Order: sequence, then C-alpha cells, then structure tokens
Amino acid sequence: MKTADERIKIYLADLKAALSGADKATIQDALADAEEHLRTALENENLEAEAESEAVETIINEYGEAEEIAQAYRSWEADLPPALAATPAARRASARSANGTSSAARAYPGFFGVYADPRAWGGLVYMLISLVTGTLYFSWAVTGVSTSLGVMVLIIGIPVTILFLLSFRGVAFLEGRLVEALLGERMPRRASFTDSSLPWGERLKTLLLGKATWLSWIYMVLMLPIGIIYFSVMITLLALALGFMVSPAGAVFMIASGIPVPLIQTHNFSWVLTPSQAILVSLVLACVGLGIGTASMHLARFVGQVHGKFAKALLVSD
Amino acid sequence: MVDLKETHKKFQKELSAGTVSLILLTILAQSAEPLYGYQIGKLVGAGEDEGPGVMVKQGAIYPVLRSLESQGLLSSERELSDSGPPRRYYQATQAGQEALQTWAAIWEETKTFVDNVLGGDYQ
Repeated sequence: MKTADERIKIYLADLKAALSGADKATIQDALADAEEHLRTALENENLEAEAESEAVETIINEYGEAEEIAQAYRSWEADLPPALAATPAARRASARSANGTSSAARAYPGFFGVYADPRAWGGLVYMLISLVTGTLYFSWAVTGVSTSLGVMVLIIGIPVTILFLLSFRGVAFLEGRLVEALLGERMPRRASFTDSSLPWGERLKTLLLGKATWLSWIYMVLMLPIGIIYFSVMITLLALALGFMVSPAGAVFMIASGIPVPLIQTHNFSWVLTPSQAILVSLVLACVGLGIGTASMHLARFVGQVHGKFAKALLVSD
Repeated sequence: MVDLKETHKKFQKELSAGTVSLILLTILAQSAEPLYGYQIGKLVGAGEDEGPGVMVKQGAIYPVLRSLESQGLLSSERELSDSGPPRRYYQATQAGQEALQTWAAIWEETKTFVDNVLGGDYQ
C-alpha cells in the first residue's frame, strides 16, 4: 500500500502529464493549487498514517481526475488575456499563434501602430530600468555567493548560505512578476515552494543542488551585461531620435537670432545654409528622427518578447 | 442507443460552467473573512457524490477562482500555514461586489425564464 504522500506525488505527476503542452506557468499554478488542496485536506482529516492512505483516495476522488482538472485549467488559460494584450484583436491573435512573437505586430498593424502597443512601451521601460535592476541582481548574486563561501568554515555559514539561496529564488519570482507586467510574458503567479513533507535535509538538497536556484543565479549575473547593453542601446537611440526631432526648432531659433546655420564646418571650410535651406534640412532630419524613434519602439517590442522567453527559460523550472 | 449517462454529464457540465462563477463570487462576497480553496470547496459541497452541492469537482474550483481574480473580481493573498503548504486566501474586491449585483439580477431573469419555459408558459 502506498503512503498518502506517495499517492499525492503520483497524482501531481499525472496532472503534470495531463497538462503537457500547456503554458509552463499554468502548469506550475495548477500543481501548486492541487498540492495545497490535497495536503490541506489530508491535514484536516487528522488521521493516523494507516487511515491516511485510505482517506487520500477519497480526497483525490473529490478533487477530480487529473485529466478533468487539466481540462479546466486549459480552458482557464485559453480565456486568460496575456498580461498586456488588452484588445480583443490581440487576444485572438495570440490565441492563433502559439509562439506569440508575431501576434503583437499583427494586433497593431503598420509601422506607426507600434505607438499604440503597450508591449512596445513595456519593453522600452524594461530596457531602461534593466541597468538598475541588472546592477542590483548582479551585486546581490555575487555578494551572496562570495559571502556564503567566505563564512562557510564558520557555524553561521550554513544559515547564511540558506538565506542567500532562498533570496535568489525570491528575486527570481519578483523578476518574473516584473517581466509579466512589462513584457506580457506569462510567468508563475505564485512562488514555487519546496515539498514541505520532505525532511529538512532533502529540502536543503533541492535548494542547494536544484536547477531552479542556479538558473536564477545565472540569470541574475547575466542581467548586468544585458542591462548595460539594453540601457545603452535604448538611451542612444532615443537621444538621437529626440535630437533630430527637435532640430527644426533649433534651426528656427538660430535664424531668428541671426546666427548662421552651417551644414558642415571645419577650420578652413564652412558651408552655411540659407534660411530656407536650413529649414528644409532640419525638417528632413526631423523625419529621420521620427523614423529612428519609431524603429526603436519596434526594437523595444522585439527585445521585450525575446527577453520574456529568455527569462521564462531560466526563471521558470519544469 | 443513445448513451444518456454521457448526455446528462455533458449537460451538467455546460450548465455548471457559469453558475459556479456566480456561486463562488457570492460566497466570497458574503464571507466576513478571506477563504482558501479547500474551505470554499467544503462550503459548496464540491466533489461530493450525494447531497446538494455544486456539480463540479473540488479541483475545478481553483481555475474558476483564478479566472475571477484575473478579471479583478477577487483578490488573493498567499499565507503560510502553521503546518503544510502555504494557502491562497481569496476575497471579493469592490468590483466583485458590484459585479455580483448584476450577476444576481441576470440569474433571477434566467431562472424566471427557464421556469416559465418548463411550465409551458412562454408565449
């Protein structure tokens, strides 16, 4: 006869299998719900170990067959709008394309449609703040590992190490919420908790040797270089675009103040534009600036989607 | 031969799809304190073969709670319990309370209409 605990594990495995192909975050949510329920139910029965293994069958039966429950989660997932695709069109588009990369583009058509797309704005904000978050993550990840290694020989080394490892999981969860809010990639709605039925040693082993902990750590370390690149590229493009876009105002100001407007100026050569030429050139520049700005928004949306996938791969464990 | 058992089951399932949302929202709107999934399941008698109760399995309640939450009608908070896994406590939001008024009115209308049709009184 299986123990209640083994039976619950089997059920969770069945549920996971029945949900194969569904969104990773949905699977994680469904498993967390099932585990919470089954363990709470068992606890409420307050039985001896032997009676427990019988009661667990009733509890699982009342919870529902894995196949049936999986179906309920799938239909919930299908109804769920991706975090940022607020319009019905976007929802339909994302339902059509499983990978979702082109869905945003289809929902907001045209080169300038990108300005109406919350994903582009989310991506832009994400790229700009990633320098700050990346620096914080990197510092914390490196501090955590070096402090832990440093105090390893002391008795306080163990609790310090555990606290840091737990904090990596916590940061991974928070970053997941940020990624979902800004980039629209679905991430787990709740932090994964370790199996509380396991003995302390086992839980510690999962924490210390678990893939999830170290993938989160790698993500935190990588976020520094990634954040620097995102921030530099985006701020450069934005500065360039804005500079070009305000050039007509500059030209008008210079003409009005009687300052000559040079197109090219070196120490022995100068090509000064007439006022009408200056206006024309600055208008062309403004158009170029608008083009660069809009292209940057497309870039932000694209980077946001790629980064969402990247974050999911590292921060959400199977 | 028509498999009536399957047909009954299908009808039951389709009918419960909307009513479960209404029942869960009502219970959480009336409750003085936040409730977690297992409590709610017990309250509505989910998964039980006999007696009055919603005709869904207990496990099917959770996706409905999540759906109501993603629509902003419920809010939830995860709390650690003394023993066992953490629990997610749900409660109705202000929007949920308002939505319930309308939902209850829709339910009244539907109920009256269905009763009338069943009683042959629909002309």
